[in-house]
Amino acid sequence: MIIKGFVLKNPLKKRGLIVFSLFVASLFLSFSSIAQTAEAEKNFAQCKACHTIGGGKLVGPDLKGVTEKRDEAWLIKFIQNSQAMVQAGDADAVAVFEENFKIPMPSHNLTDEQVKDILLYIKNGGKVAGAAEEKAETETVQPEQVAQPSLAEQVVEEEARGRKNMYITFVVMIVLLIISLIDIFWTKILKYRWIHIVVILTALWIVSEVLFFEATALGRQQYYQPTQPVWFSHKVHAGQNQIDCMYCHFTADKSMHAGIPSVAVCMNCHSQVKKGKITGEEEIKKVTDAYANGTPIRWIKVHNLPDHVYFNHEQHVKVGKVDCEECHGPVEEMDVVMQVNTLGMGWCIDCHRTKEIDLNNKFYGQYTKLHEKLKNGEIANPTVIDIGGEECAKCHY
Amino acid sequence: MKYMRLFIFLLSALTIMSCNRGKDDPGYDFAGSHDMYYTKFYKAYSPNPVFRDSMTNQLPPEGAVARGKTPFPYPGSNIAEKAANQTKAGLELKNPVPVTPEVLAEGKEHFRIFCSDCHGLSGKGDGHLYTSGLFPAKPTSLVDAYVQNKPDGEIYYVITYGSISGLMGAHGSQILPDDRWNIVHYLRELAK
Repeated sequence: MIIKGFVLKNPLKKRGLIVFSLFVASLFLSFSSIAQTAEAEKNFAQCKACHTIGGGKLVGPDLKGVTEKRDEAWLIKFIQNSQAMVQAGDADAVAVFEENFKIPMPSHNLTDEQVKDILLYIKNGGKVAGAAEEKAETETVQPEQVAQPSLAEQVVEEEARGRKNMYITFVVMIVLLIISLIDIFWTKILKYRWIHIVVILTALWIVSEVLFFEATALGRQQYYQPTQPVWFSHKVHAGQNQIDCMYCHFTADKSMHAGIPSVAVCMNCHSQVKKGKITGEEEIKKVTDAYANGTPIRWIKVHNLPDHVYFNHEQHVKVGKVDCEECHGPVEEMDVVMQVNTLGMGWCIDCHRTKEIDLNNKFYGQYTKLHEKLKNGEIANPTVIDIGGEECAKCHY
Repeated sequence: MKYMRLFIFLLSALTIMSCNRGKDDPGYDFAGSHDMYYTKFYKAYSPNPVFRDSMTNQLPPEGAVARGKTPFPYPGSNIAEKAANQTKAGLELKNPVPVTPEVLAEGKEHFRIFCSDCHGLSGKGDGHLYTSGLFPAKPTSLVDAYVQNKPDGEIYYVITYGSISGLMGAHGSQILPDDRWNIVHYLRELAK
């Protein structure tokens, strides 16, 4: 056997040695490349603002294959100070500058070694085996966290159980009522009429209470939790990602409506984030498609009020400084938003009676009677009621 | 006796009605379209049969300027426009809002809501969305010389149309012009 001019007398043994040495070499190589890329990946984060590796052009060109296209020394020089090269009249540097709308690439304080690390990272395609494993681990951990029932879900479950019990009592009571009525008028099995009367009275009492409960729920949508066209989770966005409510519902302090964000707002993040932890690419694709096609997403409104009530978010958020959660409940724990409060008039008025007003607001200076009363000590803490919060025409007009 | 039967029938009808309400069912209302429960006007976001794209909120016609709004003649819908107009806006625009403690407080609040998710409360580019690994690219540090050396108008432009790379999205629809200027003031304060 001849390898590069060597005549090997014991091919098997030598081959084993070669394999072993190759193995050791690859071990060293892979070890050192992980060590390099750990820092390179961190440093490459600055590059990511303008460049991708195989993801197309952003501001600057795609960096895939750049290490073959250009000489390493040139690249190091360019990364460290591109403008100096352009001004010095380097033909390649000027061409790159002109191609990219004359946006200068900022200088980076990186040593030659660090730039070489980054170049190696680019050569590897921006991926290392070690890094990929780490990501896989975090992804498998996620579903467990999601599986825990949230407070909102518990509320729904309890509510459902309570409702079921109520319906069973209701039906039993109706049956008892009918039986005793039939017995009292037709069959007459029981001799003692007072039993009938007791049964009928209790049954009527319970039935009317259930009816009253159901009647007050008419026109209200407590525990309404519609399925939305996109599986959007407030628990992920507002809870885990800690995005402020007002980032998306930015008109809450400026308008009557809190505002449903346009898909353009979604794209502020989702132009880059294409894969979700729970639903993968499927649901985010609906949003990016809607953005690309210009078709609005038909979200279903959860919190509804009848038209004869005027409710203004601006007044409550900006002036009243009411937290979103006070009315909407723990939205940051809900995967699918549910209306937790009744939004009934009694519920509104309850808050108006107890909510203290902020007297530093200059507008309240015109309530002269209120200030006189405060001076005389007739009232201690003025609430919304004292500025007309119980007048019908405040909300119904 | 006739009435008794009717009464029983009504009760059982009500019983059946009140059962089986699912999550997707908003429930019943007793008034319907009467009693001002549902009025005929189209509400914001409601579908509208009058317009071809069936949206009640229509875009203003091109070139229209709303009352009390200053026109902003620096378009930025693509990279080339952004690259040309960002520096232009930086040279031509001046911050019309005077610096007062109230303005800085407003700026701080809006910075917290709209910027801190990525750029961090300190503005160093260490926001939660980046440090938790959700957003791939490192946000620019707003307190370093690179951003601080840019004129006010340029920062305002980037808030309005996003960065040239498109990694930072346009926030012009979310933040009012004066609030954007407040944020610019707060950024200067932050770097001190």
